[in-house]
Amino acid sequence: MGEAKWIGIDAGSTTCKAVAVDAAGDLIASRIEPAHPVIEDQAARLVDELRAEAGAGGEVPVVATGYGRKLVRGATRNITEITCHARGVFRALKQPGMLVDIGGQDTKVIVIGPGGRAVDFMMNDKCAAGTGRFLEHSAARLSVAIEDLGPRALGAVGEESISSTCTVFAESEIISLVARGAKVDAILLGLHRSLISRVVAMIHSVGLRSPLMLSGGVARNLAARAMLEQATGQKLHLPEHPQLMGAYGAALVGLESGADR
Amino acid sequence: MLTIPTRAEVVRQVRERGERVAAVLPIHYPRALLRAHGFQPMEVWGPPSVSVVEGNAHFQAYTCGIVRNATSFLLQGGLDAADVIVIPHTCDALQGMASVLKDFIEPRQPVATIYLPRAARSADRGFLQAELHRLAQQLAEISGRSPSGGELMAAIEREEEADRELGALAEHRSEIDLGDRDYFTLLRAREFLPAESFIELARSAPRGRGPDRGVPLMISGIVPEPMDLFDHINEMGAHVVADDLACCSRRLYRPGSASDPFERMADALLGGPLDPTRGSPILERARAVASRMAQCGAKGLLVYDVKFCEPELFDVPLLRKHLTEAGLSMLHVEFDMTGSIAQQTLTRIEAFVEMLQ
Repeated sequence: MGEAKWIGIDAGSTTCKAVAVDAAGDLIASRIEPAHPVIEDQAARLVDELRAEAGAGGEVPVVATGYGRKLVRGATRNITEITCHARGVFRALKQPGMLVDIGGQDTKVIVIGPGGRAVDFMMNDKCAAGTGRFLEHSAARLSVAIEDLGPRALGAVGEESISSTCTVFAESEIISLVARGAKVDAILLGLHRSLISRVVAMIHSVGLRSPLMLSGGVARNLAARAMLEQATGQKLHLPEHPQLMGAYGAALVGLESGADR
Repeated sequence: MLTIPTRAEVVRQVRERGERVAAVLPIHYPRALLRAHGFQPMEVWGPPSVSVVEGNAHFQAYTCGIVRNATSFLLQGGLDAADVIVIPHTCDALQGMASVLKDFIEPRQPVATIYLPRAARSADRGFLQAELHRLAQQLAEISGRSPSGGELMAAIEREEEADRELGALAEHRSEIDLGDRDYFTLLRAREFLPAESFIELARSAPRGRGPDRGVPLMISGIVPEPMDLFDHINEMGAHVVADDLACCSRRLYRPGSASDPFERMADALLGGPLDPTRGSPILERARAVASRMAQCGAKGLLVYDVKFCEPELFDVPLLRKHLTEAGLSMLHVEFDMTGSIAQQTLTRIEAFVEMLQ
């Protein structure tokens, strides 16, 4: 493992991620944990931990991204998650194309051009529907663990249609379906379909491109992956650490800026 | 630094001159007709910083913020100084507002409407001229003043002169030595200043080398509210070099030549810049936007739309398609008509600027 040269912090709405890269831009250490309400303190602690782990003392510079990026103390730069995800995924998968990042608070569709630059993008801007929060919220209502959502949806016999376009109204719909005796797994399948249909609409707004890549927490969900492939007719390409791509990209931007510590 | 009076100050000055005030909703209307009848137009584009409780009670949640805010503003007494409320048929939401005001709210002031054709055939010109005559009659009944043809033509020529000054400001943005916020505050003074005051103000704008910092953007949409938007854009490392805003450059009406004042006003309104609320074909509009971007060196188009603005939203997918085919970048964001801009929206704009850097 090389010595840490740059640290990237992705202060997201659901999780806070931190990544250290060496001089070659390889990811050498990382942290991911649920987002704390006091972003400043959490980010500072994660940076200290990475600096200690990478044996680089207190001098490794930091680039921050994510919705809490402007609250990360000591960051030399803060950059939007769109730029960072594009850079991180381009480096991890070594190809331009279309990236879908389904995060906790928003979903991004980013067209990645040569060199890892974002050349077009779209973000959901109406509500939590179409984001990881939609599944998280629904899972809680159905008392299903997040990691079980995908497998149970894939194993469903039958599917319940979720027609509401709003997370809150979808919850009401779930309550009605449960009261009617609908099977939980069939509801889960319907919820995934609803989420993916919104994501696919965003993809088509930008214009579907190949290869199609996926990052963000929802990338770990097997049902979401399968349904996105089915709906787009594209094979999905996933980085090894889909949740860390924003933080990784932030660290890479720092490294590419040429300013060494 | 220019000194621009506030709307409230202008209302007071108008009153002191013994003239009347017309509260006018967006977008296109005959300013000269109002002035000739003794009304100073005071345009109402929201405003953004009002409680929308009253407006929400009268309209569906998916009605645009301009209508909900303006209705709230009216019910809170914000338009008490107005002697008439003029509502052009810009879109279904504003037509609905006119109906709600007339049929349910029944404000103290009379409500005047004007229907604008969506094309510019000879039948449309005839229709619009008839509409202008109808509005003139209504204004005369309210004010007790019927301007002569000469008075009306004088008012038209004064407004044409103000439009020429507005056009010069837009055309020569790079030579106006004002920051983005001050520059657009100056353009938007046309919303409430009398033409003669606007002409004087526009001519006094400092000339020299305009701001040239960071990524050059062109902005499109209805109205850039809150005006903090420009400060944010500057902080992100960009500046605005041109606009396609309904409140600014989409109202650069060409001076007319007809000797009949009603024909001349109708020609101006129908011959204005391309605008989705006037039914302009999207391909022509996209070409005009692309041409303007090339002319002023804009690297990207920021389409900044009031949420639920249907005429704007209908155009967005094809505008994006045509601009993309022309190799131009475009970002579309929607905003709520409130006193602040959502962080998500700012992040999108910031990412757009990063993308263009």
